[in-house]
Amino acid sequence: MTPTDEELLQSVAELYAEIDPAPDDLPDGVLARLAVEGLEIEYELLTLVERVDVNAGTRGPVDTGTTGTVGLEFAGSEYRVLVRISSDDGGRRVDGWVVPAVPMRVFLGPEGDAVAAQAPQTAYSDYDGRFEFSAPMSGEVRLWLLPQGSGEGQVAPLVTPPFRV
Amino acid sequence: MTMHGASGGPTSSALYDAATDAFRRWRAGDDSALDELVRMMSPVLWHVVRATGLDREAAEDVVQNSWLTLVRSGDSVRDPQAITRWLCTAARREAWRVSKAATRTRPVEDDVIDARLPAQSSPEGQVVEDDQKAALWRALGRLPERCQKLLRIVAWEPRPDYSSVAEGLDMPIGSIGPTRRRCLDKLRVELGGAS
Repeated sequence: MTPTDEELLQSVAELYAEIDPAPDDLPDGVLARLAVEGLEIEYELLTLVERVDVNAGTRGPVDTGTTGTVGLEFAGSEYRVLVRISSDDGGRRVDGWVVPAVPMRVFLGPEGDAVAAQAPQTAYSDYDGRFEFSAPMSGEVRLWLLPQGSGEGQVAPLVTPPFRV
Repeated sequence: MTMHGASGGPTSSALYDAATDAFRRWRAGDDSALDELVRMMSPVLWHVVRATGLDREAAEDVVQNSWLTLVRSGDSVRDPQAITRWLCTAARREAWRVSKAATRTRPVEDDVIDARLPAQSSPEGQVVEDDQKAALWRALGRLPERCQKLLRIVAWEPRPDYSSVAEGLDMPIGSIGPTRRRCLDKLRVELGGAS
């Protein structure tokens, strides 16, 4: 028996659905991006509560263009976000922790509302609340944090004030 | 040959009707309809994008960007009936763009291997146990890469915008139809030989 074109293509589609399925959280990721865009959900603006400069070279207002580490702590009503920006001759990196730890999708993007228009970088915090950007963009940036897997409106997405990488 | 997962089947007109309906409601001001549309169509867009050879991470970005484009320019979709095609075309064009930029800096072998092998290291790859499916997978693997890509495209979108397909596959637009036919015939032959 010879399959028709339609049958054959249907089988091909089913095969790919099985071997290369879309990630389960794909729609959530899309909705999160739309949320970041500010179209759907209100996010909570965190406050910078502490800043620690551990600078190898210079002192004072830190331009992390040289070697050094800057620690930032942001707080909101339910979460604290710790961020460490480190740089050495080779490059920069941003490490972060969310406390209490929950899996979140994290976007690093240029300051401004239309973050999604400017191709933010994406990371996920793991169950320890840790996330990282090993090659972060530089300049004035913000972090957007979107709790994963929660029902709609359970936990508000978070956004940090702008900071410099 | 029927199974779950394809959620009614990519070729089912039910999906297209549901998408059209959700899009209409969203344009009429019902925000939750956009959620529905996203959940319904994102898996389809996934396959449209992956058919271009993009890796999974890049594919996810492209799918997200396609939705952003829609949200920003929903007005430009005049005919709600055309929403699925609009989305698939937007996703495909963006995917080719990203994919071509990436292959300039990446060995071609990765793409070819990705397209031919089931993800062996992933649990998904091991799912292909079913004899019929395994045979289909092997048969697809014996087709030229262009055939593999084209068949994956038309499997998920039966009537794609040919110009966006032609552009990505570097083929004249007029040869898509004949190539599609030839690829299907080759696949039938390979399947016949395998059984």
